[in-house]
Amino acid sequence: MGGPDADTFRGRVYELIEEGRKRAIVNLRGVNWVNSTGVGILISAYTTLRKNGGDLKLLHVSDRIQSILYVTKLNLIFECFDDEDEAVASFKKD
Amino acid sequence: MHRLREEGTRAIMADSIIIEIPSDYKYLNLVDLVCGEIVYAMGFEHEAANQIAISVIEACTNALEHGNQCCPEKNVRATFTEFPDRLLVEVFDFGEGFDHKSYLQHIPDPSDIHKLRGRGIYIMNNMMDRLSFQMIPGKGMKVSLEKMLPNGRVQDS
Repeated sequence: MGGPDADTFRGRVYELIEEGRKRAIVNLRGVNWVNSTGVGILISAYTTLRKNGGDLKLLHVSDRIQSILYVTKLNLIFECFDDEDEAVASFKKD
Repeated sequence: MHRLREEGTRAIMADSIIIEIPSDYKYLNLVDLVCGEIVYAMGFEHEAANQIAISVIEACTNALEHGNQCCPEKNVRATFTEFPDRLLVEVFDFGEGFDHKSYLQHIPDPSDIHKLRGRGIYIMNNMMDRLSFQMIPGKGMKVSLEKMLPNGRVQDS
């Protein structure tokens, strides 16, 4: 996740906001690696959704992605889940 | 695989594996696969193996984007050299070079975690035991990353 994925992902986030869907879960199952650009993509999406009254949470985060979130301190921002139902339910608690 | 004589007068024998890819993101997975095979064969533990892979992908991404400017005719080369106590990875681009010092100066402060860019060098610096940059005139940038094996220790050169 990085490079040209940024524009695609950013565009999808704005589409969701225009559709009035501001609570997003990013399913990272099958994502082998995330570089610093990928981290920037996630932060950009998170910030955009939060500014619009929404939120973004992560699902199925691999050990490797956990490592990069931890070293960049982004583990303090992103809520991560292994179960999709739990991720969906977490919005109701907010 | 090449047998190299490295480390100046210390004359340590080391195995070296070289992979060279075009400047296209889709080939980064190949580098990741090669890196994974090498680090596990060397005996790195899971967390260290992840840190090396993340850093090598980061260095290759920088080489591809900032060094080669995504020019498909320019390759990115990664050389993995196995020493008894550590792994040395050298990533070369064939561009005009880029000002890595400006990136070093813009490492996001941990309190500024919302900053979008500038994390690449910060990530490599935190995940590897040693990180250095060298501009090779007429060729491009070389980024050197070192990770010690368990119980290994970085020797000052």
